[in-house]
Amino acid sequence: MSEHKPRKTSEPKPPRSTGWVAEFSNEHALLEAARKVRDSGYTKTDAFTPFPVHGIDEALGIKPTILPFIVLCAGTTGLLTALLMQWWMNGVDYKYIISGKPFGITPASIPVSFELTILFSAFTSVFGMLALNGLPRLSNPIFTNPRFDRATNDRFFLYVDAGDRYYNRESVKELLSSAHPDSLDEVMEDPSPTTLPRPIWLGALLLVLTGLIPAMIVLNMRAGFSDLPRWHVFFDMDFQPKKKPQQTTTIFADGRTMRPQVEGTIARGQLTEQDPFYLGWDPSKVTLAEVRNPILVSTQDTAAQDPVPAQDPIPATEPAKAESAADANPAEAKPAEAAAEQKPADTAVAPASQPPAAPAAGATPNLPWIDRLPIAADEEHMKLGKSKYDIYCSTCHGYSGFGDGLVAQRAASLLQDTWTPPSSLHLDRIQKQAVGQIFHTISKGQGKMASYASSLTPKERWAIVLYVKALQRSRNATIEDVPVEQRSQLSESK
Amino acid sequence: MTNPIKQSHINFETTVSNNSMSLQYDKETIVLPSQWKNKSPILFAAGLALLVTGAVFALFTQGADKSDGAAAFKFVTHSYLANFMYVMTIALGALFFILVQFVARAGWSTSIRRIAELIMSTIPFLAVLFVPIIVLLYANSDALYEWNVRENVHSSVIKAKIDVGYLTKNYFTLRAVLYFGLWALMGAWFYSQSRKQDESGDIEHSLLRQKWSGPCIMIFALSASFAAFDWVMSIDADWFSTIFGVYLFAAGMMAFFATMILINAGLQKAGKLQNLVSVEHFHDMGKFMFGFIMFWSYIAFSQLLLYWYGNIPEETYWFAVRLKDGWQYLSYGLIPLHFAIPFLGTMSRHVRRNRPGLVFWAIWVLVVHWLDMTFLIMPNAGPFSLIPLAGHLLGGLGMLLIFFAFFLVRATNVPLVPMRDPRLPESLTYANPIL
Repeated sequence: MSEHKPRKTSEPKPPRSTGWVAEFSNEHALLEAARKVRDSGYTKTDAFTPFPVHGIDEALGIKPTILPFIVLCAGTTGLLTALLMQWWMNGVDYKYIISGKPFGITPASIPVSFELTILFSAFTSVFGMLALNGLPRLSNPIFTNPRFDRATNDRFFLYVDAGDRYYNRESVKELLSSAHPDSLDEVMEDPSPTTLPRPIWLGALLLVLTGLIPAMIVLNMRAGFSDLPRWHVFFDMDFQPKKKPQQTTTIFADGRTMRPQVEGTIARGQLTEQDPFYLGWDPSKVTLAEVRNPILVSTQDTAAQDPVPAQDPIPATEPAKAESAADANPAEAKPAEAAAEQKPADTAVAPASQPPAAPAAGATPNLPWIDRLPIAADEEHMKLGKSKYDIYCSTCHGYSGFGDGLVAQRAASLLQDTWTPPSSLHLDRIQKQAVGQIFHTISKGQGKMASYASSLTPKERWAIVLYVKALQRSRNATIEDVPVEQRSQLSESK
Repeated sequence: MTNPIKQSHINFETTVSNNSMSLQYDKETIVLPSQWKNKSPILFAAGLALLVTGAVFALFTQGADKSDGAAAFKFVTHSYLANFMYVMTIALGALFFILVQFVARAGWSTSIRRIAELIMSTIPFLAVLFVPIIVLLYANSDALYEWNVRENVHSSVIKAKIDVGYLTKNYFTLRAVLYFGLWALMGAWFYSQSRKQDESGDIEHSLLRQKWSGPCIMIFALSASFAAFDWVMSIDADWFSTIFGVYLFAAGMMAFFATMILINAGLQKAGKLQNLVSVEHFHDMGKFMFGFIMFWSYIAFSQLLLYWYGNIPEETYWFAVRLKDGWQYLSYGLIPLHFAIPFLGTMSRHVRRNRPGLVFWAIWVLVVHWLDMTFLIMPNAGPFSLIPLAGHLLGGLGMLLIFFAFFLVRATNVPLVPMRDPRLPESLTYANPIL
C-alpha cells in the first residue's frame, strides 16, 4: 500500500467550473430567460423542468434533429433487408412449396417487410436518440447542486454550459442574473474520483476467472491425452444391463438376442392384424403377399387396375373396358357398372375357403370376406347399430339407406358438380356384399367416404353392419317374414 | 366555479365573468367570405348539370361500342353509386371526427371543429341523393343490385340471402332510412349543442357531448360498417369481406382530412379565420391525412392478403374481376398512387407545415379517393373502357360541386369557429413540439 501514498498526498486540483445554472419558480420566467440566453447567441444550453413546457424548444433555439432522416434510412434498410432475405431464401436458395404459392416476393412477404421496417426504425429511434444525446451517462456535474433535486418537483432550471464557443464566466453570470432567477449557482465539477473503486474491479475479475474454470476443464479433457480410463458422468446410463437387436448372447442356444415368436401366440399390438373380428376377412386363408396388392388398390379406388394381372388376365381386362366405357358415356354407365360389379360380388359371396388367386378386378379388393357376423344378431346389437347408423351414416346415406341424407340433399341442391352422391344401400351389388366387406368399407372408407375406424369401435361397426343388413332385408321382405299375428295389422294400416 | 382552462397563455384579451368566458376577436374573421355567399344555387346547378351530362355521355358512349342499352344503364347506375359514395364517405368521416374529438376530449381541434360540424351537417342533404337508388330498386331494376330481381339471380348463395329476407328492397330501404336517420340525428344533436354553446358559453354543453360521444361512436361504427356492406358490397352479393366497412371508413377519413385542409386553406386565402387556424392545425390535419393514407393501405392489404392466401375461388374472383379487362391498370395503379407516393410525400413535417405543399397533397388525396371508389364499384359494371369513364369523372366533379353547395348552405350565417367553447384557448395556444 505504501506505493500509493504519493498519489494521495499530491495537491488536489480545484474543481473546474462547467457552467451556470439558474433556478426559476415558474415556466414563464424560465421561457423568458431562455429567450434572453438564446438571443445572446449561446447554443450549449439546456432546461430542466418538472413537466413538458410548450415552446421551450423554440425559446432555447433548439435546432430540429437529424434523427428522423436517420430513422427513414434505417426503415428503408429494414424494408430492403426483408425483401432481399425473402427473395433469396424462398426464391433462390431453398425453394419450398408452401400452399402452392409462387416463389420469391409475394403478398405474403409484405408483413415480414413491414415488421422489419418497423423493427429497424424503432431500434434506430431509441439508440439514435441515446447516441445523439450522449447517453447513457452515469453522472452529471449539475447533480452536485442540492437545489437541483427540485427539478423533478416544482422548480425550473436553465443551464449554460462552459463549453459554449461564446462562453465567458462573468458575462453569463450577468446575463442570467438579469433574468431575476430565484438562485444562481456555478456548476462545479464533481470532485469525487471518476474511477471505479478497486474492490469492485477485483470482484469482477474474480467472477470472470471463476467462470472460466468449467470451460477450461472441458477444453482440457477434450484436447488433452490421458492414461486414465474415460470419466463417465452417468455410468449406469452409458452401460446398461440389456441386449440390443442384432447382438449375440450366450443365454440362448442359437446365440441370438432377438427371439422368434412362440407358436400359437399373437404378438402384443398385432391382434387387430390377425383377427377377422377387426378386419372383416380371414388372414389365415391367404398369404401376406397375396393380400398386399388388393389392399393398395382398394384405397386408391381405381376400378380399372388389376390387382393380380399375371394370374388371370381375362377377367381383369373385361371390367376395365366396361369401366372406361362408362366414363366415356354416362348414359351407359348403369349397365356397365352392373357388369363390373357382378363378378366381385359373386366371389365375395362364395365360400371363403377358396383362395383369392383368381379374382375379378373391381373397386373393392377381393379378400376372403367372412360371411357370418362375429357378434350375435340380437336386440341389443340391433339397437346399438341403429343408434350409431343414425349418428354417423344417415347424414349421407339417409335413415332408410337410400343415399338421401341431409348432406347429400344439400350438396345436390347447391349443384356442386364435384360432389359424388352416396350410394343407396339397396343397390343390388351392395345387397350381395358379404358382411365382412361392409365392415371393411366402414373401417377403411370407400371412394369419397372416409374411414370411420377412429369414430366407431369394431363392435359398433359390426352392429352397424347388422343394422344395414336388416335395412336391406326390410326392402325385400315378403308377407311371410312378418309374424302371423301381426299380418292383420299390416293390411289394416293399408 | 373555477374555470378549468388555464388562461395565462391566451394572447387575446380575456374577460372572465361568472362561469363563462369570452374572447375579444374580429367578428368578421369567422363568417363566410362574401364572395362565397349565395354561390350555393349556382354550384348546385352546375353540379347537377355535370352529373346529368356525365351520365348522358356515359350512356351513349358505353352503349355505342356495346350496342347494349342494359350495359350502358348498368354503367351509369354504378357510376352514380361510386360518385355518391365518394362524397358520402367524406361526410361520414366528418361525423366520426366530431365524435372522436369528444371521446378523446381533444382541445387542439376546437378552432377547426365547426368546419367539420358543417360538413357533418350535410348528411341529411346527402340522404336525398340516395333516393334515386331506392327508386331504382322499386322500379324493379337489377342494373345496380343484381339481387333485386330474384329470377335473374343464378347464384344459390345470393338466392339464400334474398330468401332469408336480408337482400330485399323493402328491408334494404328500411336499413338505409335507419342509417341516415341515426347519422342525421347524431349530427344534428352534436351541431345543435355546439350552436347553443355559441350563445351561452356554458361548459355543460361540452360535458354533455363528451358523455354521449362514446355510445354514439359505437352506433356509428356499426351503422357505417353495415351501410358499406349494404350499399357497396352487395352490388356483388356473392362476395363477402368483413373488413369492408373499415376499408370505406379508412378511405373516408383520409378524404375528410384532405377536405378539411382544402376548406380551411381556402377560407384563409379569402382572409378569414385569421389567428384562429394556425400552421399547427394544418400540421395536425396533415398528420392525420398521412396516418389514414397508411391505415387505408393497411386495411386494403389485410383484405387482399387473406384472400390471396386462402385462394378460394368464391373469395378471389372479386380481385380477379379487378385484375383483368383493363381494370388491372387502375388496381395496380392504386398501390403507388394511393399509398407509396402520398405516403412518402406527406411524411416530412416540412411538407405538412407548408401550406401550398399540404394543399397539393390534399388535392392528390381527393383524386385518389375518387379512383378508389371507382376501383371498388365500377369493375362490377363491365370491362374497362376509357371514354365512358370520362362521363363518370364528370359525374364525380358534379357530385363534389353539389357537396360543396350543401356545405355552403350550411355555413351561411353561421360562425365558422365555436368562439365560446371552453377549450378554444387550448386550441389557440397549441403547438407541435419541434422534433
